[in-house]
Amino acid sequence: MVTVLLPSLLAHESGGRNRFELEAATVGEALRALPIRNLIFDEHDDLRRLVNVYVEGVDMRDRGGLEGRLAAGETIRIVAAVAGG
Amino acid sequence: MAVLVLAGTRKGLFLLHGDDARTRWELEGPLLTGWSIYHAILDRRDGAVYAAANNWVYGATVQRSDDLGRTWSRSEQLGLPEESGLKLEAAWHVEPGHESEPETLWLGGDPGVLFRSDDGGSAWEPVAGILEHPTRDRWHPGAGGLCCHSIQLDPGDANRLYVAISAAGAFRSDDRGETWTPVNSGVAADFLPEQDGPPEVGQCVHKLLLHPEQPERLWQQNHCGVYRSDDRGDSWERLDGNGLPSGFGFGLALHPRRPDTAFVTPEEGAENRVTSDGRLGVYRTDDGGASWSLAAQGLPEPAWAAVLREGMASDDLDPAGIYLGTQGGSIFVSPTEGAGWIEAAANLPPVLSIEVARTA
Repeated sequence: MVTVLLPSLLAHESGGRNRFELEAATVGEALRALPIRNLIFDEHDDLRRLVNVYVEGVDMRDRGGLEGRLAAGETIRIVAAVAGG
Repeated sequence: MAVLVLAGTRKGLFLLHGDDARTRWELEGPLLTGWSIYHAILDRRDGAVYAAANNWVYGATVQRSDDLGRTWSRSEQLGLPEESGLKLEAAWHVEPGHESEPETLWLGGDPGVLFRSDDGGSAWEPVAGILEHPTRDRWHPGAGGLCCHSIQLDPGDANRLYVAISAAGAFRSDDRGETWTPVNSGVAADFLPEQDGPPEVGQCVHKLLLHPEQPERLWQQNHCGVYRSDDRGDSWERLDGNGLPSGFGFGLALHPRRPDTAFVTPEEGAENRVTSDGRLGVYRTDDGGASWSLAAQGLPEPAWAAVLREGMASDDLDPAGIYLGTQGGSIFVSPTEGAGWIEAAANLPPVLSIEVARTA
């Protein structure tokens, strides 16, 4: 079991839930199990450019990206890049 | 009866509630916080509200509410096929389908794409006749992207509809969206390299509207002038002499019953996109565009405002109400067909779109 934490807009779009606990072997599997999957992945199943993902505080890109393996009890945090105005 | 104004802004959706006099307004919102609402509309067939919603991180979607904005559901399926090599950049305009197709909706988007939904806005299928249009390699994005911003249905013929894309031009379908014919004959594209007359496509239409009482009549506010067509877009007449300070502008509104009456908000030009002559000036024609007169009593002066392509609307009351929203966050209403204006809301985020509906 891993935990996924969502920022406020994604939590709102998930019916008010900002925390999901689910079974997933990889980061990508965990993210694709979320009800807001189509907000963080585009129509070609690419992670949107300004969506950052941290696993246990480490940028997912330094842990193997979407294919990076997860250990039981780890926490994934989705963070919107600092952008916009 | 009451009047409902749906104001899409860069930071959420606002609703303005007014009575038939349209002189007192109550503001509600923001709704859909976190989303830029490029366009929102009430579907008069069933009362649902649809919003073309965009977020710079999470992309484009369509939100639907069946309770006037209290709760929302997001479209489940919206995107472009991988083989197209394109991705949806923004959702621009939602248009409810023909009366005879109660579950059908149309959605225009960037990059120059049109979608159709037959389930009330949950799943959207790209319209191949636009996505694979043979002239697509001659379309070029403007400052707002390659946006499909205008979708107009012929109320008397469910087979016929129009779209306008900046900068690709206007297109007509006579077969419910299967095939599309460019309808840009006579429409200038001065920003393109010099050539022998206007090109087939590539025009920068800023807004296209069809008159519901005379559906063969179309109006467009273009990057290069104001135009009218009386033959379903087959030919166009340029109308921006005789009283208009500029042919450049974005906003366009039509009188609901008088096909010769239209309203525009001219801007200085493409390189200085503020309202002309240091004022927020609406101009009105009552003779099909042969002449224009200023209809700005109650609008601010001096002012250097901007009204975007979805920023004007009209209602169907008598006298007709005319509405405009500015990038400065004001919404102005004329309950008297332009004879006088009141500021119905101020200090909103930049207004991207205005639609008006009647509610019980």
